[in-house]
Amino acid sequence: MNKGRWSGYLFISPWIITFALFWIYPLFYSLFLAFTDYRLLRKSYHLVGLENFKNLLADQSFLLALKNTFIFVFGTIPITTTIALILALLIERNFKGRALFRSGFFIPSITSMVVIALIFTNLYSRGGYLYLLAQLCGLTPPANGFLLSNRTALYSIMAMDIWMSVGYYMLLFLAGLKSIPKELYEAAEVAGANYIRKLFSITLPLLKPVALYIIVINTIKSFQIFIEIFVMTKGKYGSSTAVFFLYETGLNRFEFGYASAAAYILFLIIAAFSILQFLMFRRQTES
Amino acid sequence: MLSCGGGSRQVTLKWWQFWTDPDIKPVIEKMVADYEAANLNIKIEMTDLTWANGHEKIVIAFSSGAAPDIVELGSDWIAEFIYSNQLAPMTDMVSKDTSEFLGWDPGLYNENIYAFPWILGTRVLFVNRDLLTKAGFEEKFIPVNWDDLKRACFAIDSLSDEIYGFGSNAAEKHRLYKKVLPFFWSLDGRIISQNGKYAVFSSDKAYKALEYYKTLHDSCSIVDTQRRLEDAFLEGKIGVIISGDWLLKRIKNEKHNINFFTTLIPGPKFPGKSFAGGEYLAVSESSAYKQEAIKFIQYLTAEQNQITFCKANYSANPSNKAASQNEFFKSDANLQTFVGQLGLSKMPSPAPKWVYIEDIIETAIEDILFNNAPIAETIYSANSKIQELIDSQ
Repeated sequence: MNKGRWSGYLFISPWIITFALFWIYPLFYSLFLAFTDYRLLRKSYHLVGLENFKNLLADQSFLLALKNTFIFVFGTIPITTTIALILALLIERNFKGRALFRSGFFIPSITSMVVIALIFTNLYSRGGYLYLLAQLCGLTPPANGFLLSNRTALYSIMAMDIWMSVGYYMLLFLAGLKSIPKELYEAAEVAGANYIRKLFSITLPLLKPVALYIIVINTIKSFQIFIEIFVMTKGKYGSSTAVFFLYETGLNRFEFGYASAAAYILFLIIAAFSILQFLMFRRQTES
Repeated sequence: MLSCGGGSRQVTLKWWQFWTDPDIKPVIEKMVADYEAANLNIKIEMTDLTWANGHEKIVIAFSSGAAPDIVELGSDWIAEFIYSNQLAPMTDMVSKDTSEFLGWDPGLYNENIYAFPWILGTRVLFVNRDLLTKAGFEEKFIPVNWDDLKRACFAIDSLSDEIYGFGSNAAEKHRLYKKVLPFFWSLDGRIISQNGKYAVFSSDKAYKALEYYKTLHDSCSIVDTQRRLEDAFLEGKIGVIISGDWLLKRIKNEKHNINFFTTLIPGPKFPGKSFAGGEYLAVSESSAYKQEAIKFIQYLTAEQNQITFCKANYSANPSNKAASQNEFFKSDANLQTFVGQLGLSKMPSPAPKWVYIEDIIETAIEDILFNNAPIAETIYSANSKIQELIDSQ
């Protein structure tokens, strides 16, 4: 029995070692670095206490990046979740070509983010299809394209992100819909409930766990928005976000102490939001 | 083992370099093979880097004590390695070469030489001759000063809604400021004082340069990324853009049928100044084979090797002065423009915090061009930030 347990540990040890070496150790080491002025190429470093955190909270570029991240999170999650839910409810119905629509909505989720970002960079540019479409609709797009304007760069990336993400979350909602017992709908129909009543009394309450899962993973993902910004604007035109700031500070300027402090601020924000969301949903589910 | 040249100890030199282009890589490999054949005790271990993450790899290698013996560095990067004592001074061995090469500034510190100029680069004006003619300019017209340039850009811009006078750069990191600073330098402007102690960016020169560039930007320009500006220029949609010799190579390789000419960046009066940078070769302080490394650098940068390199790469700016006099450059008017412009170009002074200073200048330019920030206040504020950086050094 004992021997069997040790052999079990032996079998999982490659993963444990990798996890400890490449995840746990960097996690704690970066916490230590957050309290130092460590930067690459410099031969020594010093403990600076909370200096990095104080400087970050007075750093305009970090604050702008943080503000943009919040705009991104609060601007995309409600819209993405709502559209995904509506699409799931529509797709769940029986109609001809349902599989085609389901695949169509899901395809962006399995396409490379870089590829999508490059395509949208062209669509948003002056003369791009989305630019021309906006003109056809009587709108006045920014003179040099949507991504080369402080007014529209971040929002354009948010719109693309919503388009790209809804398919995946739609699929999760569909899975949630499938797990609702049919008997509940049959009983409601016998009692004379219409579609709207069934939606609000059965479907939506029973989808809450899926919705919680979607909102939590989407929150974490949205707080970590990076590739889109890197490919489409490089953080210019007021579109820098927290992770892009981390990249610039850590991997362009090699200020690892400062970047680690920024990473831990972001970590605390994401953790706080995730806990808050869990508590809110738990309270609602219990009530 | 006997050897034709150099010492007799067996030496393996690790060299990190960026030239992976299929046109040029075989040329470099041949140079290495020839060097090894002539120096039997030397073996060159070449590692290719990419521009996407090469800088990152070099910094990590130096920081972790795994630096190569020889490394190719972009001119903007050299200062950070010099100030962190990662590069070996090569003054004693190369001081005799200083009069024969251009572009020493980025590699100099405290009267020591830390990086050897290899292939330099500058930017010139590319002008679409057909659009210029259509706009009513005579066959031989060349914009030689700011008034000429403005007149030409405005006239071309008025040809149609689909045609633009000037290609103005979008807010691209490391690119935009290189297009604006030439106008500042053409007025003999400076960012930092000669003694390195004061920020002197806030000046009437900076004001005039930015005011001029903003006029072009606002009134007769298409604003886009460098690559897309070049695409539009090659499609005949832009009259004038500022670009480097990579565009000449592109026109040649992609066989673009465009009637264009290149000319020097204009100043308020002829001639103006341009921005120069380039590729440098440096030796790691931790290298055990510094002398052998410097000898190999001298071999790579020798006249004939630079000519061979430039021919293969269609590069316009060898650092070797004798190489730049070769018939290859003289027989090509566009390459000759680049050779001429290099003599009228400026490189940013190697400041320990240049990367931050660059960021401040770039942000100021972006604010002025894209957010309509007032020029005087913006350059004053940028100047204060640069001064803070200098004071904190």
